[in-house]
Amino acid sequence: MTTGAPAGSATSAGPATNSPGTAGERRPRTLPKQAVPGAPLLEVDDLRTYFALGSDTVRAVDGVSFRLDAGEALGIAGESGCGKTTTALSLVRLLPGNARIVGGAVRLYGIDLAAKSDTAIRRYRWREISIVFQGAMNALNPVTRVRDQVAEPIVERLGVGRRAANRRAGDLLELVGIPRARGSAYPHELSGGMRQRAMIAMALACDPAIVIGDEPTTALDVMVQAQILDLLERLRERLGLSLILITHDLSVIAETCDRVLIMYAGRVAEEGPVGEVFTRPRHPYTQKLLAAFPNIRADRRALDVIPGSPPDLRTPPPGCRFAPRCPAAMAVCSEVVPPDVRFADRVRVACHLYPEGSSGEPVPVAATP
Amino acid sequence: MTATPPVTVPTTPPATDELIRLEGLEVHFPVRRALVDLLPGRRRGVVRAVDGIDLAIRRGEVLALVGESGSGKTTTGRVVVKLTAPTGGRVIFEGRDVTTLRDREALRDYRRRVQVIFQDPYETLNPKQSIGDFVAEPLDVNRLATSRSDRRERVLAALDAAGLRPAEDFARRYPHELSGGQRQRVVIAGALVMDPELVVADEPVSMLDVSIRTELLRLMLDLRAARGLTYLFITHDLALAWVLADRIAVMYLGRIMEIGPAERVIGDPHNPYTRALVSVSPTTTPPTPGERATRTILVGETPDAAHIPSGCRFHPRCPLAFERCRSDEPPLFDVGHGQQAACWLAEGGRALPVVAAASGDARDA
Repeated sequence: MTTGAPAGSATSAGPATNSPGTAGERRPRTLPKQAVPGAPLLEVDDLRTYFALGSDTVRAVDGVSFRLDAGEALGIAGESGCGKTTTALSLVRLLPGNARIVGGAVRLYGIDLAAKSDTAIRRYRWREISIVFQGAMNALNPVTRVRDQVAEPIVERLGVGRRAANRRAGDLLELVGIPRARGSAYPHELSGGMRQRAMIAMALACDPAIVIGDEPTTALDVMVQAQILDLLERLRERLGLSLILITHDLSVIAETCDRVLIMYAGRVAEEGPVGEVFTRPRHPYTQKLLAAFPNIRADRRALDVIPGSPPDLRTPPPGCRFAPRCPAAMAVCSEVVPPDVRFADRVRVACHLYPEGSSGEPVPVAATP
Repeated sequence: MTATPPVTVPTTPPATDELIRLEGLEVHFPVRRALVDLLPGRRRGVVRAVDGIDLAIRRGEVLALVGESGSGKTTTGRVVVKLTAPTGGRVIFEGRDVTTLRDREALRDYRRRVQVIFQDPYETLNPKQSIGDFVAEPLDVNRLATSRSDRRERVLAALDAAGLRPAEDFARRYPHELSGGQRQRVVIAGALVMDPELVVADEPVSMLDVSIRTELLRLMLDLRAARGLTYLFITHDLALAWVLADRIAVMYLGRIMEIGPAERVIGDPHNPYTRALVSVSPTTTPPTPGERATRTILVGETPDAAHIPSGCRFHPRCPLAFERCRSDEPPLFDVGHGQQAACWLAEGGRALPVVAAASGDARDA
């Protein structure tokens, strides 16, 4: 590097961290004592998280189910207010005061986290599931050196001594492409991309089984976003991380995830392997969402719009919640909630166009004039 | 090697329908670090936010100014709408030099004809002001309405044109009663009420969900068709520029690296920086391993504009840089089809060499 530009990059996560017991090694996991042998890594079953708003109830997450296997990356996509962030925060119960999980289960290694007390669940945050929030400037403490912030959960959660924790924090910073010496910087002395890297280092501090990224690249420049996504990809390979990426940006999911969950108004519209869902979308909402995404490798004037706006989740429409905006809506759609149907290509879709036993051939919906 | 004097190449063919032209535009901000910097003889730091750009926009054209943070794109937009004074160069509007408008009337006229839409409708709107009053504000400030009914009519027409219908209903509402997309439409109505010719739109849709975003992009294109509006569209997102713009100018550290028709700049970039941006521009098609390998993920971030590298300012991050790039700054070379690239490799209209493992090269740079 010959410039004054910040050194380090997505590509510098090289051989710097090979001392024994440091970050950057794939180690056999020690499962929590209560783990059910053979249970999947994470299974979310009919999760319902509601918000109290005055005398109203906002059904932000209303029957969401999915599964995450070890080493897998799952993307959760949808527009603002679809419940994607609430779903993620429900997993570790980092919800606002007026939100409550009212039903369903969140099983990590078969242990139901939704049934744990607020104190008991703390054992699982950071150590089993950690979160990288968007806007690293707000999530980092402005008056604490970056290295100390990364070391903090190691001391607090793993009971490691300060010195060893600092050493590991330095290793983690190098792993994410921040030179060890920069660990003494305060957050404001780092660029946006570097701060986001520091957030990722923090999320990795306790060697969690699952890392959740909530819009991890949203405020970043394209090139820096590419660097961060490249970093996540490398970390996955190297550490065998399991990732959940929450974003409104479908391209981020196309880039980094194995599977995608498309949410609409608190429910799952479609879920399946990224290659299938993004190239042969079935649900009209998925089709519209993809057609509305500007793409430099597609016809520039073909951009579609989704008319109308999402429903008020205090009084969600009966039947399919997308029906009022759906160009393919039928009479049944506004009366009956469409059941989940899974097809041979492992895609699950909740839409009356694809009933149980149908071929599952995608039905293209009309573009909005 | 000493720096060669910059070669002047006309940015666009002289067009009679040209609306605005920037000539050698510079915005340099002094940096004051400490009291001792005030001592005579001490070299004072300068942030060269915009460092000599030439740009012309034709009437009815959408020109996208694309760049990352620190590229100077926003500062350029601010100069056009007269929120920032340039430290060098000229701004020519309809053939008249408007760089410094001393005449109040002329300034008022310019401010009416050139409007700006900012990124964040949450900050632009006042929560205690009704939508109608917000849209009427520029009319009130400039005393443009001839009567109360004229004021009302203009406001309703602007709301209607921005797609906020029924306009009477929206005029009475307050910002918190609107969705994000509707708020951005209000901001657009606030610009339209002045009946402008040039609209500078700085990341107008970046914060919004895709579905709302495309609605607004369509609205902007419809308004151009209906009113013959000209846009200077400022964005960090190449894909948005692709959807909206006739021409794209790519900025890096205060300079234009490449400019030309959108299809050319995206389809056949002649500057390595543009090519890198295009290669990482995200799409919803999952990449194949082959596609991943042809990507150029540049190392590091845009250097600080107070320490611009010598020669070509992109050379420290450029996977194709060679000796000359370190010492001489390339001018914009004509590469045909109305496209120009500031790169020594584009001299004489040559195409960029194909790099097999571009990302590998970038890493070693």
